[in-house]
Amino acid sequence: MNNITLVLEAVSQGDGHAADELLPLVYSELRRLAVARMARESAGHTLQPTALVHEAWLRLVDDDNRTWRNRAHFFAAAAEAMRRILIDNARRKSRLKHGGGQQRLNIDDVEQAAITPDDKLLMLNDALEQMEKENPEYARIVMLKYFTGLTNHEVAETLGISESTVERHWFNAKRWLVKKVRASA
Amino acid sequence: MSDVAVNRAEEIVFSALKFQSSAERAAFWDRACSDDATLRATVETIWVEYTDGECFLKECQPALSPGAEAIRLLADSTDFTDEVSAEFDSDKIIGSNIGPYKLLQKIGEGGCGTVYMAEQEKPVRRRVALKVIKLGMDTKNVIARFEAERQALALMDHPNIARVLEARATETGRPYFVMELVRGIKITTYCDEHWLNVRQRLELFIQICGAIQHAHQKGIVHRDIKPSNILVTMLDGVPVPKVIDFGIAKATGGERLTDNTLFTAYEQFVGTPAYMSPEQAQMSGMDVDTRSDIYSLGVLLYELLTSKTPFDQNELLNSGLDKMRRTLLEREPQRPSAKLDGLQAEELTQTSLHRQVESPRLKSLLLGDLDWIVMKSLEKDRNRRYQTANGFGMDVQRYLNNEPVFARPPSRLYRLQKLVRRNQTTFASIAAVSVALIAGFGTSTWLFFREREARREAESARRVQTELRAEADARAKISQAALLISRNDMAGADHLLDNIQIPVVEPSLEAAGVFHTLGNWNVTQGRWQVAADRILQLEQANQVDKADLTADETRDLLGAGPVLIVAGDLKKYRQFVQVTLHRFAGTSDPVAAEEVMKNSLILPADATTLQKLEPLVKLLQSSVAQNGPEVAKNNYLIPWQPLALSLYEYRCGNFTNVIVWGQKCLDYSNPTPPRVVMVHIVLAMAYSRLNQPENARLELAAGREPIEKRLPDGPEKIVDLGRASTGNWHDWVIAYFLLHEAETFVK
Repeated sequence: MNNITLVLEAVSQGDGHAADELLPLVYSELRRLAVARMARESAGHTLQPTALVHEAWLRLVDDDNRTWRNRAHFFAAAAEAMRRILIDNARRKSRLKHGGGQQRLNIDDVEQAAITPDDKLLMLNDALEQMEKENPEYARIVMLKYFTGLTNHEVAETLGISESTVERHWFNAKRWLVKKVRASA
Repeated sequence: MSDVAVNRAEEIVFSALKFQSSAERAAFWDRACSDDATLRATVETIWVEYTDGECFLKECQPALSPGAEAIRLLADSTDFTDEVSAEFDSDKIIGSNIGPYKLLQKIGEGGCGTVYMAEQEKPVRRRVALKVIKLGMDTKNVIARFEAERQALALMDHPNIARVLEARATETGRPYFVMELVRGIKITTYCDEHWLNVRQRLELFIQICGAIQHAHQKGIVHRDIKPSNILVTMLDGVPVPKVIDFGIAKATGGERLTDNTLFTAYEQFVGTPAYMSPEQAQMSGMDVDTRSDIYSLGVLLYELLTSKTPFDQNELLNSGLDKMRRTLLEREPQRPSAKLDGLQAEELTQTSLHRQVESPRLKSLLLGDLDWIVMKSLEKDRNRRYQTANGFGMDVQRYLNNEPVFARPPSRLYRLQKLVRRNQTTFASIAAVSVALIAGFGTSTWLFFREREARREAESARRVQTELRAEADARAKISQAALLISRNDMAGADHLLDNIQIPVVEPSLEAAGVFHTLGNWNVTQGRWQVAADRILQLEQANQVDKADLTADETRDLLGAGPVLIVAGDLKKYRQFVQVTLHRFAGTSDPVAAEEVMKNSLILPADATTLQKLEPLVKLLQSSVAQNGPEVAKNNYLIPWQPLALSLYEYRCGNFTNVIVWGQKCLDYSNPTPPRVVMVHIVLAMAYSRLNQPENARLELAAGREPIEKRLPDGPEKIVDLGRASTGNWHDWVIAYFLLHEAETFVK
């Protein structure tokens, strides 16, 4: 039983701190794999987030401990890691662009080309944070689908729900998010 | 708006997502909402929300999907030392163990993985080749697919096949294959380095065909035949080609349309598109069978002869996915000899040098038979290729023995048809895939629709599969029958074909060969009903292309006539006559016309039949006019034509004309016995009708004797199938029936 398995075990048992520990472990493994992958393969290849996360999963957790519950936590942590990387990056670029403190962008700006994808990502992130409070089930699905690129089938497997549920939640989540973004602007 | 109503509207929008066109969607909404205008308005609102959401999510990503972007960011982060795992660094891995194997050195890098030489200690000490599969592949499925074929793979035992011993996974879940170690080099390199001439290259090629045949008979399709998978190793000073990587392409390729396997299929595809058969290039999940391997073998042969592939690999890779597929599916490759014309002088010199021949000579070597052998294996329509690897190899052997080959240049009509024919490939869904592949996975909408589509495709695929399986089964049986025939096991071959239903027989020239042979064989066995069946199956197999039937093939086909009569199935005989009349109605070939006429008039015919024969009559008349006895001295086919005409006149009741044509027929030299006999009999009948009993009797006597000699026990007992000079059994049987008819009224 290695380090990460112990942490997963703790998470399963409801240990709140363990979840915090899980994140950096997953993060560093993802980073190691990403570097190795970029080093080996030529620039022309497209990057597959699912494959990388899957690989990290296989490398870090051995056969005996690959329960679906552990997998669910692992993948959730991976998705969270990826989200944070993106948000950090987006914030940095936004600061560079708009200079200094967080500016609230309004809805009219959204339509203009001046608003970069990164800015929109930040708006999405705010909406997502709210979703985590108001509708955690939807949020889980958004995380796995949007940030990790899992298929509906894979999401269903990971969360232990039916594929049609995944489809339906994803459908509703998209509506929810855009409504929230527009509402807060 | 009440919650219930909103839910209802949501339900409607959600259910309509499967429709791709807005028209279909709107229609569905209309039906679902019927008269409820408020509901309909809500539906529209929800739809707008949804599409807005989709758009917005898309806009949030820079160039790559969020996940892919994250990976890129991760990799770019500079505060990270080069702490790369030993497993990724192939140099560090040397000396370590993977399972019971110790890695000794790296020997190659392939499309789907890296190959190492490894040593096993227990339970047996041996050296093997170990292929570690690239990451990103779903291990469990790779291994499962391999296991499915493992039984068959284990049964393979052929000097030109490198065996795959097992499929396992490392501790971290990476799949790897253990294979027989082959110390050799790529066949194309070997041939060039050792300056093998064309004959020597062909001899190696024939061995490879034997290996592929062996595998096909075990039910294994290689799917990835290319020079790097055929290594030449030296055994006692003799070069031996060995085919490697059996079972791996299928295991790693997979057919499920998930993101992962699509991606790896794409990688493979992008790896060596030059060797992919058209049906593989389609990637529609269509049943890729043994004939796909035949195509790849054809590309190999092409390269062995010219050092070029039919389509240039780099050109394909640079032209983009869609264009690549279009080329492979539709563009006609140049003949090997023609390809040489496109080479620069230096290249041509090099190529010729490697084949130990002078530059101008190389082209003339390839021109003709070799050209056609290669082109036949590269046909886009897999039914037109060689149907078995053995068939392919044997044609090459025939070329080496200076015997006539089966491959022929396509007829003018066929070439014309090919120009006009357009492949019905659906590029719509394929284009969507290619766009996504290049833009990077992760657009959730795209994934959503892709999954729906994949599910629909899977369903229709399942329906088609049972049909395909029956077809594949029939094809396999026919292949096996062909092999048994080549070993003279007629009974065995015939037994195999007993259960093939006629509609299931796919048109193919080779199947036609099989049925023809077995039709004849059954005739010698006196099994007339079965012979009739075989001939009908032959009819089916000959649907390939009307214009392409040779005189022999036409005759075989029409030979069903007498067989059916001997079998006692007059109803089928008459149906058969109608079918052949229909089929050959527009023929401009007098030889075919004569056969049709003769076979349609064995028994008295009705007015419609006679009417349908009229165009053929004109054709034959002009042919006879142009080819009198002096002109057609050495032709043994022409003299049949006046006979056919005399028979026609008899059936029409124009007895004086019968005499005219009958005499004309006798004027020709080359007196093929059954023909002469038939003339006598028809004349006998005509004289009888014209009230000239003496002449009638004389003619009948002249006709009777040879028939009684040839068929002493009647038409059911055919021992000798006969030849063109002594007369085919068909014609003797027809003569017999005419005699029988004559004897009923000529005294």
